[in-house]
Amino acid sequence: MLATIRQQRWWLVRIAALPLHLLIFTILTFFLLRSVPGDPVLVLLGQNASPEAYDEMQKELGLNGSLLDQLLRYLANVAHFDLGDSLITGRSVLTELSDLVPATAELALMGLIGTLIFSVFASYIIVMHPRNPISRGLKVYAQSAGAIPEYVLAIVALFLFYTTLHWAPPPVGRLDTTMISPDKVTGMPFLDTILQRYWDATWSMASHLALPIITLVISQSAIMIKILISGLEEALDAPPTRFRIASGAGRITVMASVYRRAAPSAITMSGTLFGYLLGGAVILETLFGFSGMGQYAVDAISSGDFVSMQGFLLVVATLSLLVYLFVDLINMVVDPRRRPGVRAEGT
Amino acid sequence: MTATAIESTSSTLPTGGPRAEAEAPRRRNPLPKGWWMVIPPLLLVILAVVGKYLVPWDPERVAGPSSTAPNGQYWFGTDSSGLDVFSRVIVATRINLTIALIVSLLATSGGIILGLGIGMNESRRGPVGWTARGLARVIDLIQAVPAVLVGLVVVAFYGASTTSLTLALSVILAPIQLRLVRTEVLRVRGEAYVDAARMAGLSERRLTVRHVLPNSSWAALENTSVIFAVSVILTAALGFIGVGLPPPTPEWGAMLSRGATDAIVGRWWSAAFPTLALAITVASFAGLTRLLFHRRVH
Repeated sequence: MLATIRQQRWWLVRIAALPLHLLIFTILTFFLLRSVPGDPVLVLLGQNASPEAYDEMQKELGLNGSLLDQLLRYLANVAHFDLGDSLITGRSVLTELSDLVPATAELALMGLIGTLIFSVFASYIIVMHPRNPISRGLKVYAQSAGAIPEYVLAIVALFLFYTTLHWAPPPVGRLDTTMISPDKVTGMPFLDTILQRYWDATWSMASHLALPIITLVISQSAIMIKILISGLEEALDAPPTRFRIASGAGRITVMASVYRRAAPSAITMSGTLFGYLLGGAVILETLFGFSGMGQYAVDAISSGDFVSMQGFLLVVATLSLLVYLFVDLINMVVDPRRRPGVRAEGT
Repeated sequence: MTATAIESTSSTLPTGGPRAEAEAPRRRNPLPKGWWMVIPPLLLVILAVVGKYLVPWDPERVAGPSSTAPNGQYWFGTDSSGLDVFSRVIVATRINLTIALIVSLLATSGGIILGLGIGMNESRRGPVGWTARGLARVIDLIQAVPAVLVGLVVVAFYGASTTSLTLALSVILAPIQLRLVRTEVLRVRGEAYVDAARMAGLSERRLTVRHVLPNSSWAALENTSVIFAVSVILTAALGFIGVGLPPPTPEWGAMLSRGATDAIVGRWWSAAFPTLALAITVASFAGLTRLLFHRRVH
């Protein structure tokens, strides 16, 4: 029993670190909010509020008592999944966000899948056929990492494929306006249409999502290809590859081994990439008229709803941390040397 | 005396394989290959300084009929409110470049100072080492959250102004520089010349400033133009979502987002020219990066 736990310690420890990371983030968010100049109570009530109303509002927002009191109360609320109520709509922030975040996360996730497929494919061409003109073009593109903002690309794409060529549907949401949106199952609209076998909507959504996803993939693949190329080139030249070739392994086995050894840095990168894609998805949502958390955040900002903003930041942070956890775990599976407490030769 | 003697030896020693190789040809001819890549960024800076006095129209006032296509009078056309696109694109250079330049400066210097502090103290015992290790972890965590979204929230809390945007972006981008410096510090700390300097009786602070700082900050310095490009893109991105500087301040991101609706109905000019400006800026500073990287192998 004890031996089993010791053997499985690596992922248990990593998962146990998540609450700690969340705690750190919650505390950081709290202090970010408290460092804002001005009194939120006065902002909400106006300068001429009566002392009673002031006290009541202060209590309602959890701003009474010492800083430590406030922090502890805030942490207790967050631990109960209570992110407060929106100052504008009065609804629970967590409910509102749980309606919107999955949709944005889905867009980012589809972008990530597209990016991974495209990067693996492109890096293979570049590394295996370096003299091919296509691979030269791809290499130049990989050098542009981070220099093509997705919003610029999206405007160009819309102008070309919607305005000029009329291939893409108008950017007014995920569905044709005449269609009824699918019932909420997972909260991810595209997945929901598939789960409900609502194929018309699936098709319509696919055509609406194509442009934003292609935009995301093109704007974010460069950095992934760059990382994959350097990893692959290193792995190709390494003794394990020569050993496999020398012992007569087939091409597929050799390439699988090369990709496996190049994978860890690319997997780590895909965690960061998901963050970029989430940011990109938030921007593209406003352009393509999708409902999602981007619009929510912008609305919260323009109405000065700091409770919503705080909740928004926490939810985004949680999402990012979960992705990081996932990425770390995959890396530890692919490369056991990355497990904590493991000391490998040469590290 | 000892310090200078050690320094001269340390500079002849190969400090880091690829970097030493990259520097060798640079020393031979004073103008490295591709030196002209300095010119476009320089021109942009000049444009940012004098652009305000060159433009034909007031960038914040209605110049003529709305949505006019580019012609002799309105070179880049007018946007949907009748503001002259050419004047706005040129004048916006000042705001976008100022923010980006200050952010590069703040993020890099902040990153170097913190990176040195954390890297040098990380393996210490006691509270100092604890704090350094803790900070390193926390900064790794902060990087997990997408920069646009952190920027969104910070701008929301502090209000959108050039100052708050600059500070927010510096705070968001400093960790990138910090990590680069920290990695280098951890490497440099084990070098023989650092040990030698320590043996020679140099105080820890002097050692850090004279030996570790010059040998570990180059990665972040080379990365400065990337930070520059990213901050241009992020400033515009925030303007694009609609939380940037308030209209009618000329700023490329805000111009782009308002131009996007025009572009969709076929009036391409009010989005195309800010895009072009953005692309030229990013590309010219990417060129500068290439020049500084100078065939450095990654």
